[in-house]
Amino acid sequence: MRTTLVLAFLAVALVVSATAGILIGAVAIGPRDVLAALFGSNDVSGTIIRELRLPRVLGAALVGGSLATAGALLQGLLRNPLADPFVTGTSAGATLAAVAAIALGATAPIVPLAAFAGALFAVIIVWRLARLGGSTTVLTVLLAGVVLTSFVGAVVTFILVSSDRLALRLRAVLGWLQGGVSVISWDELAVAALIVAAGLAFALFLAHRLDAYAFGEETAATLGVDPDRTTTAVLAATALLSGAAVALAGLVGFVGLVVPHALRFAIGATHRRLIPASFIAGAAALVLADLGARVVLSPAELPVGAITGLVGAPFFLALLVRSRRIVV
Amino acid sequence: MRSRFVAFLAVLLLTLASCGGAVSVSPSPSVAASPFPATLSDFQNRSVTVPARPERLVSIGPSITAFLFALGAGPRVVGVDDFSDEPAEAATREHVGGIKVNFEKVVALKPDLVFSLKFSDGTIEKLQAASLTVLVVDPQSVSDVAKTATLLGKAVGADGEALARSIQQRVDAVKAKTANVTTRPRVYHEIDASDPAKIFTVGPGSYINDLIDIAGGTNIAARAASAYPQLSAEEILRTDPEIIVLAADAYSPKPGDVAARQGWSIIAAVKNNRIFTIDPNLINRPGPRVGEAAEAYAKLVHPELFR
Repeated sequence: MRTTLVLAFLAVALVVSATAGILIGAVAIGPRDVLAALFGSNDVSGTIIRELRLPRVLGAALVGGSLATAGALLQGLLRNPLADPFVTGTSAGATLAAVAAIALGATAPIVPLAAFAGALFAVIIVWRLARLGGSTTVLTVLLAGVVLTSFVGAVVTFILVSSDRLALRLRAVLGWLQGGVSVISWDELAVAALIVAAGLAFALFLAHRLDAYAFGEETAATLGVDPDRTTTAVLAATALLSGAAVALAGLVGFVGLVVPHALRFAIGATHRRLIPASFIAGAAALVLADLGARVVLSPAELPVGAITGLVGAPFFLALLVRSRRIVV
Repeated sequence: MRSRFVAFLAVLLLTLASCGGAVSVSPSPSVAASPFPATLSDFQNRSVTVPARPERLVSIGPSITAFLFALGAGPRVVGVDDFSDEPAEAATREHVGGIKVNFEKVVALKPDLVFSLKFSDGTIEKLQAASLTVLVVDPQSVSDVAKTATLLGKAVGADGEALARSIQQRVDAVKAKTANVTTRPRVYHEIDASDPAKIFTVGPGSYINDLIDIAGGTNIAARAASAYPQLSAEEILRTDPEIIVLAADAYSPKPGDVAARQGWSIIAAVKNNRIFTIDPNLINRPGPRVGEAAEAYAKLVHPELFR
């Protein structure tokens, strides 16, 4: 019952924030014109709504949902509440590939593709490293992810400092690193939606195995869940989800960490419920954050990552304090 | 190796020696009849006294360098910033740094007058602390250009008034051409669109805004709050520019890239294929070529006037 209520509330929140996201923007457009635009009016308002705002809102929903779902999966797999979608090195891999692509002069369609490939590649490396001992233990996944992230961070710094050509396009790199969903084309959106749908379906399929993980890998094994294959499968699902998110929006922090965490308080840790709830809540959260990014300093815009950090960090702290009060 | 050490010692000695020098920036009661000593009011409203005709000049600012050469003071210029490449001869002078000024190099050149753009990081104060005479010259508008020519002429002992007049004549010629235009097309001038949510353009108080005005155009951001405002893509679509102007350099988007941006196909300039590029050095620097810059811009906005 409680789960149904929470899910209904989240769905309403998503619809309301998406509606607000389409209604509110740099240029004031009345609700009637917005409606006309959605049905294909051919004027400037129509173009602004259909080509700029709608893909932006849908992109934010897709990115937020993917990050929160990937966060829920990894927190379950690693049994670590501090896990976020980037612990497996996806952010590092995507950043390196995107920065390299920008340095080589690539633009719109190539950079997100490179970022997605980089994210997948990073997860494969982490997975290979974690398997070196014969079996895939979650602790080595975590360590390999941390090591890869620091190493790639150093490589990116090296490229940034050493490349004169890059220095002149530094704003493009910084803009990418800050994260944002400001301009997303329908083509990008369509490709990302397919990848995210596959990742989400995969995640739901893995839900009951992750529940077994709550008691540790050995217990999971005695419950008939093959830890090796499960770890591999979960890593693959998170790679698809966070890879698509990073490719669309760059590095957007905190959504993948805070949203699944908060939902555990609300509806418990059963992944069959947690995964869909995380997707909807993450989508609503990022659509709202993006709206905030547009409105707070209007007409200038903040990077959406700044909003998620500003709101996410105190929220996360409040959750921690509350949970300690309950436990102690 | 040895010579480098000697050079280092020389710089050290110079620095020490110049610390004891007289402070040459001071409020002066009257202006003398002969050109020197000259007391000048610079762009930060500081009163600067140039005691005698300066023989060793350092210019920190590409537009200043262009003025000094236009005034015939080029042979006396011993150091320039890294970006000074107009005229070509200017780039052969000793370079004293770009975004960050290399103080040791400036001091080692023993300039008796340093010209500099405004700096907010304490560069001017540091140069003064090294007992150098610094004149801050930072033209930001078309009307500043003639004023700059006059000021620099007085500072180096050349006929700045004549240069100012010839510059003004050329600007006035363009103004005369565009004075009676019946339409003033909406112009969007792109500075940087690396972040598509926050595109930098030019607003009131910027030099390029003046150029657009003289060229007979209407800047779409003419009523923005700052000289270099940021617009969202929505804002640009709404204002529907009839002409889009980009910088013609390797790192800027090409007209085709701009036309392909999401939603931009509805913009008049894209529909009518009126996306142009212009030499950034010509229009970014408020220098002696202002007349040429205004004319180049006017040719984009009102090509019919130049047939």
